[in-house]
Amino acid sequence: MNPDSRQIQLNWVDPTTKEQQKLRLKLPIAIGRELSKMPSTIHGDRVSRLVLESTQVSRFHALILFEQGQLVVTNQSQSGTFINGISVNRGVLNHGDQLQMGNYAIAVTFVASSLETDSVISFHPDTDLPEPEVQRKTVTATSDFPPAIFQSQQISVRDLYATNLPVYQIDYVAIGAGLGSFIWVDFLRIFGVKVRQIVAIGLEKQPYARYQRLCLNSQIPLHERLRSNSDSCPDNIWGWPSYAIREAWRDFYKGKINSALQYLWQVFAEPTLAETYTPRAGNVFDSIDREAKRIGWHQIFRYGRVRAIRKTDDERYAIAYSCSSSNHRDRAIVLARYVHLATGYPAIQFLPDLQKYREKTQDFKSVVNAYEQHEHVYKHLERYGGTVLIRGRGIVASRIVQRIYEVRQRNRNIFVLHLMRSPKSQGNKFDAAQRQVENHYEFQPFNWPKACWGGELRAILENASPQQRQQFLKDWGGTTTAARSDWRRIVQEGISQGWYQITFGEVERVEREQQNTITYIKGKDLQGQIKLQADFIIDATGLEAKAKSNPLLDDLVTHYNLPLNHLGRLAVAHDFEITEMRSGKGRMYAAGAITLGGPYAAVDSFLGLQYAALRSADSLAAVRAPGMHRLNCFCSFSQWCKWITNQSPV
Amino acid sequence: MTPTLLGRWQTRLLLLATIGAFVTSPFALGYLRPEASFSFFWVLGYVAIFGIAWDIVYDYLQKFRWDRDWPGVLQLLAGIWEAAFLAVILKIFHLPGIPQETSLFWFALHYSLVWLSVYISAQVIMRILFLRWRFHGGQWL
Ligand SMILES: Cc1cc2nc3c(=O)[nH]c(=O)nc-3n(C[C@H](O)[C@H](O)[C@H](O)COP(=O)(O)OP(=O)(O)OC[C@H]3O[C@@H](n4cnc5c(N)ncnc54)[C@H](O)[C@@H]3O)c2cc1C
Repeated sequence: MNPDSRQIQLNWVDPTTKEQQKLRLKLPIAIGRELSKMPSTIHGDRVSRLVLESTQVSRFHALILFEQGQLVVTNQSQSGTFINGISVNRGVLNHGDQLQMGNYAIAVTFVASSLETDSVISFHPDTDLPEPEVQRKTVTATSDFPPAIFQSQQISVRDLYATNLPVYQIDYVAIGAGLGSFIWVDFLRIFGVKVRQIVAIGLEKQPYARYQRLCLNSQIPLHERLRSNSDSCPDNIWGWPSYAIREAWRDFYKGKINSALQYLWQVFAEPTLAETYTPRAGNVFDSIDREAKRIGWHQIFRYGRVRAIRKTDDERYAIAYSCSSSNHRDRAIVLARYVHLATGYPAIQFLPDLQKYREKTQDFKSVVNAYEQHEHVYKHLERYGGTVLIRGRGIVASRIVQRIYEVRQRNRNIFVLHLMRSPKSQGNKFDAAQRQVENHYEFQPFNWPKACWGGELRAILENASPQQRQQFLKDWGGTTTAARSDWRRIVQEGISQGWYQITFGEVERVEREQQNTITYIKGKDLQGQIKLQADFIIDATGLEAKAKSNPLLDDLVTHYNLPLNHLGRLAVAHDFEITEMRSGKGRMYAAGAITLGGPYAAVDSFLGLQYAALRSADSLAAVRAPGMHRLNCFCSFSQWCKWITNQSPV
Repeated sequence: MTPTLLGRWQTRLLLLATIGAFVTSPFALGYLRPEASFSFFWVLGYVAIFGIAWDIVYDYLQKFRWDRDWPGVLQLLAGIWEAAFLAVILKIFHLPGIPQETSLFWFALHYSLVWLSVYISAQVIMRILFLRWRFHGGQWL
C-alpha cells in the first residue's frame, strides 16, 4: 500500500439488499453502529466513521489505524472482530483480508478497484426476456409518445381527448399484469368489483409468465418445489385448502397413502421435526390457471407496455401505454381512479467483473447469469464434462449445484468451484435466536423469518421508525438457502468426493484464455494471486430492484419527485399507497419488490403480495371505491364457498 | 402458525367459547355418559383461564425460535402439558366446580376432543371466516 494515500477500499455485500457496497475511506477509520459513539478525531487526525446499521454490530465496533507502516485493527466490541475468520483484539490487516463484524464481511483492498459501473441485465421491453445487450436508455427515448401534455404535473382530460389517441375509461387499472397484479385483481373481484370495471396492462397473458421463466432459468422445473409456504396460495386468498392438503388429497386419491401422510406430517411438524413443505411449481401454475379463469382474468388482461402515468384534473390518472406489435404501432390512454403498480424486478443484477468480461470478450456463453436461459451450459457439461464456477451462495446457487449433481450422474467428469466472498461460520442473530450455518451456507426456510408475514415481526416492523426498519431488515434478511436434506447431502458428498470445492476471495478480474475463463482473485498480500480456471461461470448473486432501473418508475419518481426509501425503492404507507401520488379521490398503490424497505419485509412473495392486496383492498372499501365491499365473516364464507365450487365471485 | 400474544388469547377464548362449548355439550348433558355433569364446562373454563397464563409462557419461548413460529407439534405438546397440569391440580387440590373423583378417562376423552376440534378450527374455520386473522398473528378483533 502506498502509505501517503492512507486510503483503503472496503467492499461488502449489504446483508439486506445483497447489493454490493463499496467505499473508499481515509485512515484512521472507526466502524460501528452509532456515529456519536465513535471518536471523531484520534491524535489530531480526523476519523472516517463508517456506520453499519445492524444490531449485530456494536455501537463502536472496531478501529483501523496506520501504525509503523502497517494497518492495525483494534477490536472495541464484546462480540469480536475477525480477520479472515480469526478473532483478533489487535491484528494487522493485509491487502485482500476479510474483516468480519457481526453479520458484515468486509473485503479490504489497498489498491483502487476499477469496477465502478452499475451493472445490470435489463428485461427486453417487448419480449420481457433478460437481455444483456439492451441499453436501458433506449426504452425511454421516444419521439411523440407519450404526448407532450404528459410534461405537465396535472393533465386536463379535455386536452387528453384532443390528442386523438384512443382514450378508455375504467375504474381500476393494474399495471404489470404479473403475479402482484393478478393477486390484487383477485381481491378486487372477491370484494365485489365486476370484470368490466378492471383492466390489467402487461406484456403476457399468463400472470406467472415472467415468474415461470425466471424459475425455469434458475433451475426450478415444473416438478421441482418452490421456496414457499404451503398456505401461500396466489390462487386462494384464505390459504385454505393449502397446497400440502391439496397434494395430499390428490396422492391419497391415487393410492399414494404414504406420501399423502408425509405432506400432512410436514405441515404439522415443520420446521422443527420435519423438513418444511413447499409446493411443486407446476401445481402452483395450474392453480393460478384455474383462478384466472374463475375471476375472468382473460377479459381483464390487456396487452401493452405502460410508458407514463399522470394525475388528471378530474381526480384520476392518465395511463399512456403502447401496444405495438411487429406490424403496427398502437398507443392508447386509459383513465382510471384507482391504480395498482406491480412491475416486478426492474432488472437482473450482474456482477460488475462479469459484466466487464462480457463487454470485453462478447462471450455470452461461458459467463452467464443464473436468471438467463443457460441450458447450453448443462448440455455441454453432460457431453464433454468440465468445470463450473458458481458465484453467490443463496438458494439459486443451491439449485444450480443440484442440477449439476444430476448432470454428473451421467458424466463424472464435472467439477464445481463455488466461489464465496468470505467464510461463514456464524448465522445472523436476532434477540435470543440465531440462524444455522453449514458448509458456509446459511439456512432459513424462506427469505425472511416466518413471523415477518403475519406474526410478531410483521407488527414490529410496521411500528418501527425508518432507521429501525433498516436495522431489522439487515438482521432478518441476507443471503440464505433452504435446509433441504437433499441439498445438504449433495454438498457434503461433493466435498468428500472432491468434485465440489468451496473457495473464498475477492475477484479482481475475469479474463478469457484459450478456451477457458480465468478468475483472478486478490491474494492476501500483493504477491499472492489466485487463478481459478473454469469452462463456465454462473452468477447466482441475485435480482435487482432499485426503482430507478425501471423506466416507468424512473419517470414517475422524477416527474412527481416521489420519496424513495433507504433501499432506493418506492416509499409506501402501511396500506401500500404511494401517498404522494394521491389525486383527490384517486389512489395509487404499489406492491412487490419495488416496495422493499418499507413497513413490510416479505413484499416479494406470494403471501406478501396477498397481504399488500388485502391492505389496499380494505382501504379501497373504506373509501367506498365503486363495487368494493369489505369482506366480513359472512361474505368471506360465501366467497370461499364460491371458490371451492369454482364459481365466478360476482 | 406465527401467533402474537394477543392473537393467542383471542383465538383461544373465541374457539373455546364456541367450538369448545359445542364439543362439551354432549358430555355435560349426559348424551355420552350415564349421568349429566356440568363439570365439563368447568374444565373448559379452567383450560381458558390457565391458558391465558400459559400463553404468556409460550409467547416467551417462541422468542427463542428464529422464525418466531409455533408449529402444530408444539401446539400438541403444549396441549398435552396443559392437560397433565390440569389433571394433577384437579386430583391433588380441589378445583371449584369439578368433583375430585372425576374419572381421568372421561377427562382425557373430553379434553382431547376439545383440543382436536379447536386445532382444526384454527386451521380451517378461522382462515375462512376471518380473512385478516392469519396476517395479524391470530387476532380476529
Ligand atoms: C426464481 C424465483 C423464485 C421465486 N419463488 C418464490 C416462491 O417460491 N414463493 C414466493 O412466495 N415467492 C417467490 N418468488 C418471489 C415473487 O413471488 C415472484 O417474483 C413474483 O413473480 C413477484 O410478482 P410481481 O408481480 O412483483 O412481479 P412479476 O410477476 O415479475 O410481474 C411483473 C410484470 O410487470 C411487467 N411490467 C414491468 N414494467 C411494465 C410496464 N412498464 N408496462 C407493462 N408491464 C410491465 C413485467 O413484464 C412483468 O410481467 C420468486 C421469485 C423468483 C425470481
